[in-house]
Amino acid sequence: MDWIVEFYNWRVVIQFIPEFVDGISATLWISLISLILSLIIGTIGAIMRMSANPVLWRIAAGYVQAIRSTPLLIQIYVIYFSMPALPLLGRRLDELEGGIIALGLNAGAYMSEIIRAGIESISRGQVEGAQSVGMTYLQRMRYVVLPQAFANVVPPLLGQTAVLIKDSSLVSFIGVFELFGAGLTVLSERLMPNEAFMTVAACYLVIYGVMLAFSNFAQRKLGGART
Amino acid sequence: MIDVIVLTMPFLLEGLWMTFQISSITILCGSALGFVVGMLRTLGGWPISATLGIYIHALRGTPFLVHLYVIYFVLPSTGISWLQLEAFPAAVIALSLYTSTYVAEIVRGAIEAVPRGQAEAARSTGMTALQSMWHVVLPQALKLMIPPMGGVYVIIIKGTSIVSVIGIAELVRAGEHATLRHPRELMLIYGMTALMYFAYCYPVLRIARWAETRFGSVRLSS
Repeated sequence: MDWIVEFYNWRVVIQFIPEFVDGISATLWISLISLILSLIIGTIGAIMRMSANPVLWRIAAGYVQAIRSTPLLIQIYVIYFSMPALPLLGRRLDELEGGIIALGLNAGAYMSEIIRAGIESISRGQVEGAQSVGMTYLQRMRYVVLPQAFANVVPPLLGQTAVLIKDSSLVSFIGVFELFGAGLTVLSERLMPNEAFMTVAACYLVIYGVMLAFSNFAQRKLGGART
Repeated sequence: MIDVIVLTMPFLLEGLWMTFQISSITILCGSALGFVVGMLRTLGGWPISATLGIYIHALRGTPFLVHLYVIYFVLPSTGISWLQLEAFPAAVIALSLYTSTYVAEIVRGAIEAVPRGQAEAARSTGMTALQSMWHVVLPQALKLMIPPMGGVYVIIIKGTSIVSVIGIAELVRAGEHATLRHPRELMLIYGMTALMYFAYCYPVLRIARWAETRFGSVRLSS
């Protein structure tokens, strides 16, 4: 068993369990808040993108293109380092706020494309059918359009959420402590890259596995996954 | 402001050139590796397919940053001499492995999108499984692979920004150095960097979208 301890000294990892637990919970919190932010941005973006007003849809399309064509790291740097003091806040964004806003803006662009595809996938006949039985706009949305759009949208949204969780590792670059940061702590305190990064990788894999199981469950439950 | 642009431009262009080199090599290596993995996954029996499935999930389930650190910091500590990688090969290998998972899924999706009848008809004229794959299925599948590949190439180009952590002087690194020299012009310098990435990625996305209307596409599981 000596070769295992030589390559991966689990006794050291046990000493750092509090750091890793904090890291996992920070990663999950950062991802959750960014996810909520991105869903809000994505919904607004999708509605703007589908609007007939050329100014509105051009802004939304330009936003999506700009986000998709630049790396997340640069987006984080621009938002965290380059933002001057915000007038309402009276100060500059701190690391955590900057990281979360950058992640939310980044994922929001992808979310808006997913949400738009979901709404556009509902055929015109569904709406017309609902109209012809006398449903109001709200009833049509509530009972016909949204349930179908939701079923179409949830599987790709979960996939994008998995990407968001992985991307959140990049906020460690601007000094936010999260799961990857926990690995960096082990590296800097003990100079043990194996213990640090194999553990980080395993933690991310566990999160990914839970997401995958959840996504499969959602697909079965919703039955809307026409892949 | 103009003088800062003039002063930093050469450095940023040098960084862009490095980004271009890394991304081009990775596009070649990653596509080749991904093609092999995808083909093996469709053609091989279940043990091969399951092993490669684990490979794909393991790489998809962890951030690229972790792959990079594992290849650059963990592999050298195994003590095996050919695993003591310099920064540049480590970056290219990590990015290629990451890319290969996307390409493998595209290849598999495209092959499965070709109607079964095509392969069955080829087999019934007496072709072997390999002949039917090579002469009938692959030519049709290749067309379907072109549009999603554009998306993967953009992922690679954006992924090269992360290799700046292991000290490669690519575009982000060049931008960081420039901001140290002109700390007042942070916004401008990072804006220029972002514009350069945009100028590199946007045409690729446009070509991919054009190819999609021209050739059709397969759905990518993200």
